[in-house]
Formats: sequence, C-alpha cells, structure tokens
Amino acid sequence: MTSTDVQLMAHLMRRAGFGTTRQKLDELVETGYDETVEELLDAVSHPSRLTDNLIRRYHPEYSGMMGNQSAGGNWMYRMISTDAPLREKVGLMWHGIFATGYAKLANGKVLHDQIRMFERHGMGSFKTLLIELSKDPAMIMWLDNSENHNGSVNENYGRELLELFSMGVGNYTEKDVKEAARAFTGWTFGNTEYMTLKSMRDSVWPYGRLSFHFEYKEDDHDNGEKEFLGHTGNLNGEDIVDIICKQPATAAFLSRHIYSFFVADEPPVPEWPYKKPVDPAAIEALSKVYFDSDYSITEMLRFLFKSDFFKSEDARYKRVKSPAELMAGVLRLTEEFDRPKIDMNPTNLQTSYMGQWLLNPPSVEGWHWGTEWIDSGALVERVNFASERLGNLESPGVQSLVDRILASSDSLTAEQMVTSALDELSISAVSDKTRSALVDFAEAQLSQSNGDSNGEAERLQVANVLKLVGATPEFQRA
Amino acid sequence: MTTQTSTARITYSRTIGVAAMEGRGFYYPWAGAVGSDGKIYILGRGSDSDPRGVRVTVLNMEEEYFGTFGSFGTGTGQAIWNAGIAIDSKQRLFTSDEHMNRIMVRTLDGELLDTWGETGTDPGQLNGPNGITFNSNEELLVSDHLNGRIQKFTTEGKHLATFGEPGSGDGQLTLPWGVSVDAADNVYVADWGNDRIVKFDADGVFLANLGSPGRNDGEFNAPSDVFVDPDGYIYVADWGNQRIQVLDSEGTFVQLHRGESTLSKWAQEFLDTNTEENAARNTANLDLDLEFNTDDPHEQSAHIEKYFWGPTSITMDNDGHLLVVDSNRHRVQVFDIASSD
Repeated sequence: MTSTDVQLMAHLMRRAGFGTTRQKLDELVETGYDETVEELLDAVSHPSRLTDNLIRRYHPEYSGMMGNQSAGGNWMYRMISTDAPLREKVGLMWHGIFATGYAKLANGKVLHDQIRMFERHGMGSFKTLLIELSKDPAMIMWLDNSENHNGSVNENYGRELLELFSMGVGNYTEKDVKEAARAFTGWTFGNTEYMTLKSMRDSVWPYGRLSFHFEYKEDDHDNGEKEFLGHTGNLNGEDIVDIICKQPATAAFLSRHIYSFFVADEPPVPEWPYKKPVDPAAIEALSKVYFDSDYSITEMLRFLFKSDFFKSEDARYKRVKSPAELMAGVLRLTEEFDRPKIDMNPTNLQTSYMGQWLLNPPSVEGWHWGTEWIDSGALVERVNFASERLGNLESPGVQSLVDRILASSDSLTAEQMVTSALDELSISAVSDKTRSALVDFAEAQLSQSNGDSNGEAERLQVANVLKLVGATPEFQRA
Repeated sequence: MTTQTSTARITYSRTIGVAAMEGRGFYYPWAGAVGSDGKIYILGRGSDSDPRGVRVTVLNMEEEYFGTFGSFGTGTGQAIWNAGIAIDSKQRLFTSDEHMNRIMVRTLDGELLDTWGETGTDPGQLNGPNGITFNSNEELLVSDHLNGRIQKFTTEGKHLATFGEPGSGDGQLTLPWGVSVDAADNVYVADWGNDRIVKFDADGVFLANLGSPGRNDGEFNAPSDVFVDPDGYIYVADWGNQRIQVLDSEGTFVQLHRGESTLSKWAQEFLDTNTEENAARNTANLDLDLEFNTDDPHEQSAHIEKYFWGPTSITMDNDGHLLVVDSNRHRVQVFDIASSD
C-alpha cells in the first residue's frame, strides 16, 4: 500500500461518497481501486443502517411529511447512514439538475417520492429516467404539466425538459418546445383538482397529506401530428424522450453535468452556451460512452471513475462541497446520529443557512454550484458547522479520531498532530499556508499543557486541531 | 397479503378526531387512554419542526371537545417526545417522555402532580421509556426501550422489578414499544425490533413469543402496541404492516384489518365550512387501486386515506370499543368488538 494509493482512494471516496476515515481507506485500498468502484456502482444491494422503520418510529413527521423540512431531514439520515453513498450522491446530482421544491407543492411526501425515484432510476438508462421524471407528480405540479391540456397547451415542462433537463439552449427551436408540450398533454396526476387545491391551500385537513400518483388522461392528450427535432408523427411523451436521447447535444449536456458534479466545477449552466467545457476531451469521451451504452448512467460513471482525467492529481480538491455534501461528510465522521435523534431537524436546517435548503431550491434552475456556494455568510456557517462538530468530544466518531491521533505517537509534536489529524480526515495534501497555520495553532495548544495526567487536556488539544482542520479550504472542498 | 377473514372479532365503527396543529384535533397523536367518565385522552407527539402537537387532547366518543394541556419543552410539566399514556384507579394521568427519560403524573384536568425518572442503564433507571400500562396491583409497567427491557414501578416511581434484556432470543427484546397485561397480569410486549409479541408472566418470567417477521397473517413488521381484552383476545398494532391483527388467547391468528376510516364529526365540520375543498374532494377517487413499486404498505397507506397510516397505539373504552390511534392520519379509528357468546 502506497501513499499514492491512499490518496487516490480518498479522492474517489470524496467524490463518489461523502469522504471516509483513514481506517476505512486502508480497507478499501486492500480491496483495490477498480473493485471499490464496482462496489460503489453496485449500489442497490446495500441497505441503509438507519432503516425507514427506524426513522419513521422516532420522527412521525419524517413519515407523514406535511411540512417543508421533513423530506430533507429524512434524506440526510440516509446520506449519513447509507452503505451505498454513490446512490445518494447521484440523487443529489439529479436534485440539482431537476430541481423541484416545496414552495409550490406544499407536500413533503411527493418530494421524498421524487428523490426515491432518483435512487431507483438515477443510475440506469437516462431515457428511462427522463420518462420517469415526466411521470413524476412533483415535477408535473412544479412545472404545471397538470395545466397542459389538449387544445390549451402549457409549455412550461416542454421548455424546461429541453432547456434545463436534456439539451440546453441553442439546440432546439421554439416550435420544438411547443410540439414537445403538445406531446405531454394528458400527463398529469390523479385527483388533479383536489390535489391541486390542497397544495394551493397548504391544507392538511381532514387527515394529513395525501400522496400523489401519476395518471395519463388519454382524453386530454393531443393525438394530432407533431414535428419535433425533424421527426414527424403522432408523437407522445415517450417519443419525445426517445428523440431527445438520440441527440448529440443531450450527450454533451449530460456529460458536462456529470463531469461538473464528479470531476471539477463547471460554470453555472446558463453560461454553458458561451463557455467551453473545462475539459472538452473528457466530455467527448463521456458522450461516446453514453451512446455506446444505450444511455447508461452507470456506464458513464464507471468510465469516469476509471479515467485519467478523474484520477489526475489536478482534479483533487477542485470541487467545492455543496452544503448537503459537507454536512453528510461531517456527520458520517462524527457518528453522532447512530440512531434517530431530535437534533436532526435543527441540524439539517443548517444547510439552508449555508445556501442549500434540500428540496426547497430557489428556482427551477436549482442552485449555482461551485465557488458560488461560498459567500461570506455561507462560509461562516460552513466553517462553524464543521468545526463545532469535529471538535465535539462527546461524539463517538470524534472520540475515535482523537484516540487514533493520540495513538500515532508516544509524544505528539505539533507537526505530528497536524499530520495525523489530516491523515485521519483523509486529506492527502494541504497548501503550505494551511499547514503552517495548523502547525502554529497546534504548537499554541501544546504550549498550554497544564500537566494534566488524566489525558483530558491532550484530548481537547487534538479536538481543537480537528476543529481547525474543519475550517481549512481543503476540508471544505472535495 | 390476506385482507380479511370470515371470523370478524372487530368491525369498524367510526373515526374521531381531525388534523389540527393546535386546539381541537390531533397533530401526530401517539397514544390514548380512557378515564372512568368516558373521556378520551390522546397524547400528541407533534412534529420536530412544529411542536404544538406535544399536548394531550381531551374529547369523548361523541367528539365533544374538553380542551388540551401540556406543551413542548424541557421545563416542568413539559415534554420533548411524548410516548406513552395510562390512567390509574385514582384517575391520575401518567405520561412517559422517551427523550427526557421521565414519567409525569397529572390530574385529568392537566395539573402536574409529580415527575419522576432517572436516566441510565442500572435497574430503576430509564433510557427511552415509551409504552406504559398498569397491572391489577396498580404497578406501572414501563417499556424501557433503549435498555431493551420492561421495568415495574410504584405510582410514586419506586423501582420494583426489571425483566427482559436486549437481544432476539427468548425473553429478550429489541427496542420494545407498547406493553399490556391480561386479566392474570401476564405481560405482553410489542417487541418492535424483533417483529413479534413477547409474553411474560406477572413476575417477568418468559412464557412465549407470538408471531414472526413478515407480512402474512399472524406475521408482524415492527409492532408498536398490543392490547388484551377481558376475553383474552390479543390486538396488535402491526405498525410496519399498517394494520391491526387480532389473535386469540393462544396467539393464533383470528383477523386483520387495514382500516376503513370515514369522516369524523370534526372532519365533516371542516369540510362543511370549506365548501370549495369539499366539492373538490367529492370529485376525487380516494379509494384508489394503484400499482406500487414497493411491497411496503407504508406507500399504500400514504395514498389511500381510509387505511391506517402509522397505527401507534390500541386501547379500549369503558363500553368495549377498541380505539386505534392512527398517527400519520391524525385521528382515532374506533372498532366494535364482537360478543364472545
């Protein structure tokens, strides 16, 4: 096992997961890189430690999901406890692209159902995913397809399907938008009037929320001839998705999203028509896999994780962690939610202070990722959150980290303490400036030793160094 | 899944209650108890993001409303995670708080009389008390769920006995929830984590395991509560399967019920004053026949309003009605019990 192996594995686990401990990294390196990639891709077979039953038992609102925080809290539990982190990461990616929010729906359960749909289909065929998305009641209500009728077309879903979900602007015409919308007439949710009214009124009466279900209304579907992207016929929604998936623009658009999420931050999507990709060759290679694999997301990810452009040292720490990724990574380290606790709700809400309220995005465009996560207010929240949690000696995970750092040497110097702390948090490299600041801080900690013989002072010193590591640019990035 | 047998021990009678963040109604009701005057006391769990539901709502079977008491918090008389409720022969109301590890004692008007309970794992200490019930000696049995055991106390909180231990073997419990006694003071525990009912004698000696994990007749998924009627029939809130099951006194399957809620008086009053919503509701099909992508009955219950969705507690009123607290639907479904003749 070389340090290069460990660093590469740490990179993989930051991107395909939420990071991990040095102890776990050593096990994964023994397993091997390619085998670990396969295990990550084989996501469905791994159960979550905190089961649905366990979460529902303690938090009934995480079961009934009437309010605007429960579906996000439920998801955070899964992110921090799953043995299949890639499935949750892919879910986060799709939530960012197909951003759907509580503000209009007033129903947490329908959003939860959408995320579960991403978990089922998010790593399969992109074509299947787009069809499921088109049938998803949350999306139907979010983009008004329940108002898209034969003879009275609402273009909202047809437009966003092309602009934000598959091809990107500049690759279709206004007529294509209209024809796509016509093809999706009749794609709605059941009990349309009642469910819409309950959402508009934010009604929980008489007996809480009702879950939505998809319904295709043949008598409200426009069966006339349509012309879409050069194809003519009595096209229905499935035909539109089929044509979209065949487009090179779709392959490039999807590849750029996947690259941006897993390799290096791209500029915000609205800038894509005017700015070239960070790595055009990578986008081209991913696009080829897309077509060769019949639109398989899993095959694109397999290729990506095994590619040189992903493994390159230049790719490391090139992504700013989204607030949800940051929180999930920290809470996995601290292990403070070994079972459901009442603290989850206020904890999860802190992602909103960092700029990302899960399942409540600012608009249909979702969030602008990358360095736009960082502004002065959000940075303070991010640093405070990571530092407070990583320095809390009451958390079992922090206790384990401190134990291992203290065991790394009989008498830790400041240098050793910093090296070991970074190692335990799987941070393979920091800038000279960061290291220097950390070592200065550790030296100051050590100089305050009071001869305490029970070891509590030493444990606090190490915890304080972990706190500061949580504030470093390297920890805030992936 | 079998839906119903021809041997009907219970038949649906009515629904009481309605969703309400505060005041008249329930907000994630969790457990219920009935006073000697027939008043029903519904303990509310509430939502972590809106704790107004942490209260006791008082009503009767005719849905006369008598007010609420209790609130969210760590102060005197407050609760964080309301869990269990029971009334003693002196008509004092006992509630458990599985977060604060304490038992509160009140008058039926809500006046706080006493608070007891100490956090820990030693005998007499509590770690997550939830289901509570009295035996014929007026001793309070507490499901000490994170300690995986049942503890017995006097009404003043003096520790009397401890039985059960964490695990899945005979006499062991995993995250037990509801607890009940029969006429002989045998103790029945909803062994939530082991998908079964565990029966102990009055001294805590293991007698039997009832049921096994699954979704078929007589099988359980994470049962939340158990109740034994005077004839010895055992009623199980089969929480993870979103249904009620009835067993005979030997533990043999008799009947299951998915729930068939109708509009309560309070629900009807809401709809009568919200005519637009009422009109839209009347055009909706609420008895859906859908295909689901999971075998988890949770999804069926989320879509089909009449079904139980999170049945957390079973108790009986003084007239022999079975009351099932239907938590996610913020109501109580009431059943008639067939005569044993």
